[in-house]
Amino acid sequence: MTDALEFSHIGKALPRREDFRFLTGQGRYLDDIKLPGALHVAFVRSPHAHARIKAIHAGEACALSGVVGVFTGRDLAQWTTPLRLAPPIEGLHPVEMTTLPVDKVRFHGDPVAVVVARDRYIAEDAAELVEVEWDALPCAIDAVDALAPDAPLVDETLPSNLVSHQSFSAGDVAGARSGAARVVESRFDLHRHTHVPMETRGCLADWDGGQSHLTMHIGTQVPHPMRGQLAARLGLSETQVTVISPDIGGGFGQKIALYREELTVAALARHLGRPVRWREDRMENLMAASHARETRCLTRAAVTADGRVLGLELELTEDFGAYCFYPANYMARVIAMILTGPYRISNYAFDVKVVLTNKCGNGPMRAPMAITSWVMEGTIDSIARELGLDPLEVRRVNAIRASDLPFTMPTGEILEDVTPLETLEAAAGAIDVPTFRTRQAEAKAEGRLLGLGLCTVVESTTYGSGFYKAAGIPGSGHEAAWVRIEPSGVVNASVGLMGSGQGYETPLAQAVAEGLGVSPDQVRVHMGNTDVAPYGMGSRGGRGATAGGGTLYLCAQKAQEKILTIAAHMLNLNDMQGLRLHEGEVERQLTGDWQSTGIGLADVARRAYLDPLSLPSGVKPGLDVSLTYDPPPMTYSNATHACEVEIDPETGMIRIQRYLVAEDCGTVLNPVVVRGQQQGAVAMGLSGALFEQVVYDENGQNQSATLADYMVATACELPNIEIIPMHTPNGRTPAGIKGMAEGGIMGAIGVIAGAVNDALAPLGISVEKMPLSPQSIRAHLRSAEKSGGPKF
Amino acid sequence: MALMARFGTEAKPISGGQSLTPMMNMRIARPAHLVDLNDLLELDFIRVADGVVEIGAMTRHARVASAPEVVRELPLLAEAANTIGHYAIRQRGTLGGSLVHADPAAQLPLIAVTLGAEIVLKSVRGLRIVAAQDFFLSIMTVDIAEDEILTSVRFPAMGRSTGWAFDLVSRRRGDFAMASVALALDMDDAGRVSSLRFGIGGVSPVPARLEVVEQAAFGHQLQAGMIAALAAQASAEIDPEDTPQLPATYLRELVDLLSRRSLKKATETLGETV
Amino acid sequence: MSGTKQIFLTVNGETHEVSVPPRKLLVDVLRDDLHLTGTHTGCEHGVCGACTILVDGQPARACLSYAVQMEGHELRTIEAMAADGELKPLQRALHEEHGLQCGFCTAGIVMTFEAYLRDNPEPTEDEVRDVLSGNLCRCTGYQNIVSAVLKAASEMREEAQV
Ligand SMILES: Cc1cc2nc3c(=O)[nH]c(=O)nc-3n(C[C@H](O)[C@H](O)[C@H](O)COP(=O)(O)OP(=O)(O)OC[C@H]3O[C@@H](n4cnc5c(N)ncnc54)[C@H](O)[C@@H]3O)c2cc1C
Ligand code: FES
Ligand code: FES
Repeated sequence: MTDALEFSHIGKALPRREDFRFLTGQGRYLDDIKLPGALHVAFVRSPHAHARIKAIHAGEACALSGVVGVFTGRDLAQWTTPLRLAPPIEGLHPVEMTTLPVDKVRFHGDPVAVVVARDRYIAEDAAELVEVEWDALPCAIDAVDALAPDAPLVDETLPSNLVSHQSFSAGDVAGARSGAARVVESRFDLHRHTHVPMETRGCLADWDGGQSHLTMHIGTQVPHPMRGQLAARLGLSETQVTVISPDIGGGFGQKIALYREELTVAALARHLGRPVRWREDRMENLMAASHARETRCLTRAAVTADGRVLGLELELTEDFGAYCFYPANYMARVIAMILTGPYRISNYAFDVKVVLTNKCGNGPMRAPMAITSWVMEGTIDSIARELGLDPLEVRRVNAIRASDLPFTMPTGEILEDVTPLETLEAAAGAIDVPTFRTRQAEAKAEGRLLGLGLCTVVESTTYGSGFYKAAGIPGSGHEAAWVRIEPSGVVNASVGLMGSGQGYETPLAQAVAEGLGVSPDQVRVHMGNTDVAPYGMGSRGGRGATAGGGTLYLCAQKAQEKILTIAAHMLNLNDMQGLRLHEGEVERQLTGDWQSTGIGLADVARRAYLDPLSLPSGVKPGLDVSLTYDPPPMTYSNATHACEVEIDPETGMIRIQRYLVAEDCGTVLNPVVVRGQQQGAVAMGLSGALFEQVVYDENGQNQSATLADYMVATACELPNIEIIPMHTPNGRTPAGIKGMAEGGIMGAIGVIAGAVNDALAPLGISVEKMPLSPQSIRAHLRSAEKSGGPKF
Repeated sequence: MALMARFGTEAKPISGGQSLTPMMNMRIARPAHLVDLNDLLELDFIRVADGVVEIGAMTRHARVASAPEVVRELPLLAEAANTIGHYAIRQRGTLGGSLVHADPAAQLPLIAVTLGAEIVLKSVRGLRIVAAQDFFLSIMTVDIAEDEILTSVRFPAMGRSTGWAFDLVSRRRGDFAMASVALALDMDDAGRVSSLRFGIGGVSPVPARLEVVEQAAFGHQLQAGMIAALAAQASAEIDPEDTPQLPATYLRELVDLLSRRSLKKATETLGETV
Repeated sequence: MSGTKQIFLTVNGETHEVSVPPRKLLVDVLRDDLHLTGTHTGCEHGVCGACTILVDGQPARACLSYAVQMEGHELRTIEAMAADGELKPLQRALHEEHGLQCGFCTAGIVMTFEAYLRDNPEPTEDEVRDVLSGNLCRCTGYQNIVSAVLKAASEMREEAQV
């Protein structure tokens, strides 16, 4: 392990600067922005999972006072182009989607028409009056059934519901199998989730007819890609569209795609020449925004008698829902790619299927690869169990060690500067496994069920362009920034990211301050406005720190060079050698000590802007520096989660007794913010594993469209999380930053499953299906009781 | 009252709005007129007289849970009210609203049925008193006429020596219970059950008293074996809906467990309040 | 339920005359008519707690009341907290403990505990979690909110002693 690097501002636990406005009710979220004369829309949505649209009658709705009009897929088809997704990826079928459905709807909640009215209440009244004549069709609800030859086709342009299928093999998997002491098979079934940002989706579109310009106010994690999409689908150029993202009340991946509702609103604003706004209600958000996960996996591990994995095979099926806002293999492929993560496995094969069904379309949700660590660690636990070995030992036997680095995974991914064995030992040591085992045995004697889980995570945080190119996905992983020292010496900076609550303003200001040599108070980072920010790829995954922070840091360093060049000239020195900018003052190193030169940043700035003729030759006026940076193809961070649970055998309820994480995410910009992300990610993972579930009945009716039914954990269900921070810098990224924010989910899902299975192991029970609801735990205990186990 | 008479089916009273407004926001309920009861301060009262605790319809859950009269005379009601929803919900939701809304898993209807309360209804036509047993007709359906308002509920005070217990299982804190049990228990000097009121919620369309179990307990001492037998009987007695999300078998197990825990606790609290 | 009604609403000590349709939710009137956008809507079914304000000093969901019901009642919203620019102890503690991320849930939490800590100055962690269970937060995992409430409570007790 390398030691953490030394910095002045990076890594300082500064409280967040955005807090004040949120704490006093002065945040500005989408719905807080008012434009005079704005019209409101409400969508008419399908009550069927799958049906043909025979006719839409809007007469009664249009007659309602205050209604401006009712529009359908046919209208939108005239004003917008369809979304076509056809990346050249083998096994992935090209798909196309119109802005609103024209012929048929594909899931319960699919929008079929839109009402525009003076206010939201009237729009909703009118939406109820729109009459649609339906011709209900049989539906495909379960992914396995959807693959049957006679299954109803969700997308009639495809030969089957299998929208994507890829296989891969590296090394000699068959050989590993034949040479193995045993082949251990394990199954994993992660249910359907949805993101539930506390602020639902929404947008406010403002068309300026005179300028032929659209201003789209929308909480989006990716302002520039959003602008590109809007322009393309509306037949406008990028000069005709400005995207402005206000404060966002959570995104978690739900605020990346340009959704059909948003495009509809933009098209209506142009058509009507009036500002048009939409605020999604919670039922729409739960039914029809975007869903995630619903992945089933099967692994076969060929192992030696001491638990060493010789070869691993993965079969994965993802239920993608009805529409593709992303290439259908997008999430599943990452799971398959990084599955082997913390372990030295070289013989590996996967088969990945993605299936369309009559449910809301899937998208990436915080940790699109959420199931990965559960599958890998669950496989390790199965190996330990089948061979009668200590699960901790099996982990040690297989773990990648410092001496193995850089390690090339069987999929070609390269791991550098990761520390899976170190986090494992740190977590196992802190939770004190031997003492726990004693307590567990004592409890068992009293009929109580205690369990311990361990889950090591290798998290892919930052995708560079190299990754996209290798994956065949069009797109880039670079990021762009500018840093501008204004004539008075204050610093404006910008980057293409857009936070959705993480608190970028403070850590990114720290990155700029570090690179530049000023105090973070002097820096203001502007994000979210495409006319202000440079073209960047926005916020997704855990790229904020590495791509965003890294780019700003490098850009600020470049600005510092220019400042010091000017300062050297002012000091009559030949070059900037031996100078630095520190807290906004130019300092000179004399006999080892840094001493003030009496020149401050403001002096340099004044000269750069207002007295350019006094600048050294070749130095251009102004202090306005921009830079782009493309991170390595992939950056990884790692962690180990440890969790103790007690299961009430009578109710099946799971109580988390202790939860800790040893996490190595390299250099951190701001530990306060990082800790918040770690806690938040673990909470989301646990909430998903234990409570949340999108439920469809056999007719495709969504049964979880309120927050009483889609159960997000409250403060009473979640534990305090102990964190052991570790900081091995990445040798290839600026300042050694690695990024994080999603691994907590991967770890939480894996560790809670591990702990529950550890508790139930003595009864011969192994739980393969989430959520870990009390009713499902009881069902397992009941069948164990029936087959002679203890009765609770 | 006059407003209710004038608007008939078109009108609905609103008290806490903690159940009605969500339904209106989801456009499930859509009355044309709402008659606000919130400023009817005369419906926010607790009166104790002649062994009866009368509680006004507009009394908020938080007050029911903490008023000294209720804690003293109806500890079972106080405890149950304190488990409704969340702190903020309990500051708004009212006794009358909860009873008329009649969610099958709601606490207050269960206690009203268990203790044999009387529901007082008023309209321009006059006063009507209905036994709680008869008031709850089906899921979210009660015996109330369109022009009537629930004005108060009369609970027979629990004897000072009565043992009691309330218990529920819900997925998250504050969720409606998957199953709940309320009981009030009296014993004779020889430690035999002289009266058991055994109410069960969440597993049937309306909260119900399990009379078979009540009778089976009569005259017996409540040792572990007896408790287990009564609990098994309770769980056999119910006929919950069976759904993939919430299987009937699981609900029966919960009722068995809650019954055992509650009977044990009621035995322990017996005489405690003296 | 058409037509509008002229009503007087007293919010944060100021009385406003507004003309609203009887079916307009309190939260919408606060936000649209009175421009008090600090109160947020997260669900409109009473579960998330984002819209919680104080009605006569007690927490209430602004999404479950109609504005016309609020005549003659004292309403308080997040805008009244720290109106003088000085954060109150709970707001300060939330800042120091990093008890907020996106901030969407924050106003509802501040208002809920404004009432709760007034009536219960010495809560335990379990009690704080129980009260907080009525406010959903998707970002923080609650841990830092809980420690902020406990910290604020202890600071408020100290302040009261001086
Ligand atoms: C998040 C949340 C969690 C909850 N959890 C629980 C829980 O765990 N357990 C539980 O029991 N409840 C729970 N509730 C419901 C809560 O207890 C409600 O307060 C209660 O069910 C309804 O009371 P209300 O006063 O709000 O009635 P309202 O919503 O105002 O009215 C409900 C119905 O009763 C009618 N009505 C109201 N008052 C009268 C009257 N005096 N006469 C005639 N008709 C009347 C109305 O017309 C309406 O049909 C929860 C609510 C929320 C929002
Ligand atoms: S918006 Fe009122 S509780 Fe969610
Ligand atoms: S801070 Fe985002 S929901 Fe609480």
